[in-house]
Amino acid sequence: MTAVVSETEETTVLLVDDNPQNLKVLYETLKDKGYRLLIANDGEKALDLAHRHQPEVILLDIMMPELDGYQVCQRLKADPVTSDSAVVFLSALDDVQAKVKGFSLGGADYISKPFQAQEVIARVKTHARVIRLERELQARNRQLENDQARILNAISEGIYGLDAGGNIVFANPAAALIMRSPVEELIGRNFFKLHMAASGDEFALLPVQATCQQGVAENQRDIALLRADGSSFPAEYRSTPKLEGDTLHGAVVVFQDITTELENEQELDAARELVQEQRDQLAHASRLSTMGEMAAGFAHEVNQPLTAITNYARVAKRMTAKDTLDRELLQETLDKIEAQSHRASEIIRRIRRFMKKPATGKEVLSVPALLEDTRQFAEVDMRNNEGGIEVTVDDSLPEVLADPIQVQQVALNLIRNALESTRGTGSSVPVEVSAALCGSGCVRIEVRDHGTGLPEGAEDKLFLPFYTTKQDGMGIGLSMCRSLIQAQGGDIGFERPEDGGARFYFTLPVAGAVANACRAD
Amino acid sequence: MTDIQQTVYVVEDDEAVRDSLELLLKSDGKPVKTYENATAFLGDYSEKMAGCIVLDIRMPGMDGMELQKKLNEKHSILPIIFVTGHGDVPMAVDAMKEGAVDFIQKPYREEALLEKIEAALEQDLEQRKSLDEKQEIIKRIKSLTPREHEIMDRMIAGQANKVIAIELEISQRTVEIHRSRVMHKMGTHSLAHLVRMVLSVKDLIDAR
Repeated sequence: MTAVVSETEETTVLLVDDNPQNLKVLYETLKDKGYRLLIANDGEKALDLAHRHQPEVILLDIMMPELDGYQVCQRLKADPVTSDSAVVFLSALDDVQAKVKGFSLGGADYISKPFQAQEVIARVKTHARVIRLERELQARNRQLENDQARILNAISEGIYGLDAGGNIVFANPAAALIMRSPVEELIGRNFFKLHMAASGDEFALLPVQATCQQGVAENQRDIALLRADGSSFPAEYRSTPKLEGDTLHGAVVVFQDITTELENEQELDAARELVQEQRDQLAHASRLSTMGEMAAGFAHEVNQPLTAITNYARVAKRMTAKDTLDRELLQETLDKIEAQSHRASEIIRRIRRFMKKPATGKEVLSVPALLEDTRQFAEVDMRNNEGGIEVTVDDSLPEVLADPIQVQQVALNLIRNALESTRGTGSSVPVEVSAALCGSGCVRIEVRDHGTGLPEGAEDKLFLPFYTTKQDGMGIGLSMCRSLIQAQGGDIGFERPEDGGARFYFTLPVAGAVANACRAD
Repeated sequence: MTDIQQTVYVVEDDEAVRDSLELLLKSDGKPVKTYENATAFLGDYSEKMAGCIVLDIRMPGMDGMELQKKLNEKHSILPIIFVTGHGDVPMAVDAMKEGAVDFIQKPYREEALLEKIEAALEQDLEQRKSLDEKQEIIKRIKSLTPREHEIMDRMIAGQANKVIAIELEISQRTVEIHRSRVMHKMGTHSLAHLVRMVLSVKDLIDAR
């Protein structure tokens, strides 16, 4: 298109007159003005030249033998190739009737004979310019239309234009490809009948109907669409109302086949599940390992109530062997036995819960209760820690949403580390465990010790697997903790308090808080 | 120092174990005193305490082993029965090397514990008796004049009166007089008995 425009850079003017003298005068007048001049001395020749060269301007004599100017003009206007040329009539006739007839036949202008050279030059210049602009505009319009067509052809999503009744008035090639029917077979069919096999009353509830009927835009995923051959595929579509002013003219539906996408998503979900499962298994293995380390402590812990029960039972036996039975004292001793057996079963319950295989999943949890339980757990392992563990928790703390066992595992790990670090310095300052609201959707739990502290540069590596600062450490604990806390939607880290030791913290989302309330940045 | 009042001292951090053990021992007719940690017992300790200690090996703060060391430093002769948990046998072995009388694993049978306590009390009593006897011997030795002491040393070494007289350049008669005074002050008529008595306190005298 552009090439054609530049080709006609030189404006062509066709001069038509049966009088050679007149032609000569016109030729002399317009030569050297930058036009390509063509000459015809009768109507047939004029039509032939016009058809071949598509002049911008045709100066056309009216009074000619054979075909007169009016007839030539009619035929020029009838031929699409020449219809846009500006026809300027030339005639001695200077009456209004003749002018009106010329204009009514599509003439652009009128020059009266005998003509003035200046007038001819000026009018030709004006019309040549108008026609050239018009042709450029058309060329550009055609280019734009072609671009749009290319875009619609190139786009991989199917596009339908529907009228208010759901009949397909436009379909792009992608639509044809997805539906496996040629565009021509789609046009004119009813979208709902063809792709949803719907009839009658069901219509109103179908997808896209709200857009067609009420002008409401829709966007849905995983909708089953039918092809012409009856096969079905999952689709995602957006439908937008076609509006002209306030009037609804149907809908534009952009859709795509999401079969592959869904398959990919399923694979991704399966991979995620696998990762989750492996994390849970690793967490379980890690809990077993912790229990192994704490076994002696637990044996001691269970033996205490058992020892007390044995002693009390023996005392009770002696009482019953006496001549006078002190019922009250016996009752008291039996109560003590009962309390001690509860104590033993509580310890065993706690161990069993901690060792339970798959974590139970997220629950709404009370942080104070969880930390108190964890404190009792950790104390099993606490010999030679004079200071012990101090838990400070605000009772008004909101509940969090997390897996209780995994959170306890993390808290226990941090507390045991803190106790070990405290033992390392022989300090008698207790390990401080605290919890507080942090922002509106997040609870922050801190474990603070006054132990040996952390080496320089630990920031980068501490939570990585196999990095450890302990003599006989494996470097699993903290990386496990990080993985577990991240799975709860929380964050974990540590700080170096100014007066020594270390402060580890982790966060958990408050139950019902917005997602990612606790994520760092 | 006769009729020593023996007490079972229970050092145990666990309240229930402490309470039940106290009741048990009291029901068996034994005087009992309980402490909830090693530091409390150490604060209360005096040489006059007689009986035995039932000591939990595993306690927060100062543990049983540390208390044993502290008591050894104070030359305590109170027999210690260590109460251990399942995994603490290596610790118990160390404790025995440090002079503990015995150890018993939790949870224990009452008979076993009482037996061990009886044995420990017996041992304490004997140690205390023999200690009293030794104190008496030392007292008698101290009542000797330097010359008498010198002659006793030579008697124990097996020197005859004649030899002693020549070496000390005194008369045999004087040796005989000193000799009879030594036997009198030491409360014996037999040289063999004298030798045994003096040897039995040798370590105590050397220690001074």
